[in-house]
Amino acid sequence: MLLIECPWCGPRAETEFSYGGEAGIERPADPYALSDAEWADYLFFRSNPRGAHRELWNHAQGCRRWFGVERDTVSYRIEKSYRLGSAGSGRPAAAQIEASEEKRR
Amino acid sequence: MSETSSPLPGVEISVRSGRGFLNLRLNPRRGQALEAAERILGQPVPPAANTFTAGEHEIYWLGPDEWLIATAAERVLSLGSELAEGLAGFHSAVNDVSGGHVELLVSGVDARTVLTKGCTLDLHPREFAPGQCAQTGLGRAAVLLAAGDPSIYTIVVRRSVSDYLCSWLANAARPHGARFPAR
Repeated sequence: MLLIECPWCGPRAETEFSYGGEAGIERPADPYALSDAEWADYLFFRSNPRGAHRELWNHAQGCRRWFGVERDTVSYRIEKSYRLGSAGSGRPAAAQIEASEEKRR
Repeated sequence: MSETSSPLPGVEISVRSGRGFLNLRLNPRRGQALEAAERILGQPVPPAANTFTAGEHEIYWLGPDEWLIATAAERVLSLGSELAEGLAGFHSAVNDVSGGHVELLVSGVDARTVLTKGCTLDLHPREFAPGQCAQTGLGRAAVLLAAGDPSIYTIVVRRSVSDYLCSWLANAARPHGARFPAR
């Protein structure tokens, strides 16, 4: 069994989590500009690497938050886990949410 | 919470009746919203993950922007509307979830041994000290488990699986001379 580090709850057993597939897949900004092949690539094709793999996990039986994990697909070793939108994830999601909330107020 | 100084022998399992639950969501980085909530609740909203505060109510951390408030059933309606009013200007949500939850109490010197049979967490007080809580699995059910005292655990579980969980607990506690007092 994997011991997965939830960025909020700490290390928990794998049974508490659900897997969400490869991380960092961005929806094309303009889907209509894509050919069928490009759209199919976005929808169905994943990198399936041998080695370091960035993936999404949800702490389903715990805090129910999505977060990112970097796992080695050969050794199953988890190199790191990070909050989505944090520095390690390469996305400014948290800042965007903060900004959109600022607008709501 | 703890009514006795020395823990009971064996293990006691009971349903805590007359309880109501509110789910509170707000961004804790909004200082004013948090202050408004704490003023109405009369106690701190736990900022640290997997902890709870006990006062008039128990407030459990559920997520970075989510808490469960457990209080007396007759207080839920008024507290819910006070919170909704006080937080009206903020990006927040207060929901009465009383109908969906059951609170169980597992106490006694063997309480930890019984829970350990179906839980992957290390429940030793060194790791799971009084004041800590965790959403985790117990048996096959998802529960909120809280340590009130090294020999008293509170479990908040979905009503739909509470029958199952009670049967599971009764079975796990049988070798320890389980008692089921009415509360």
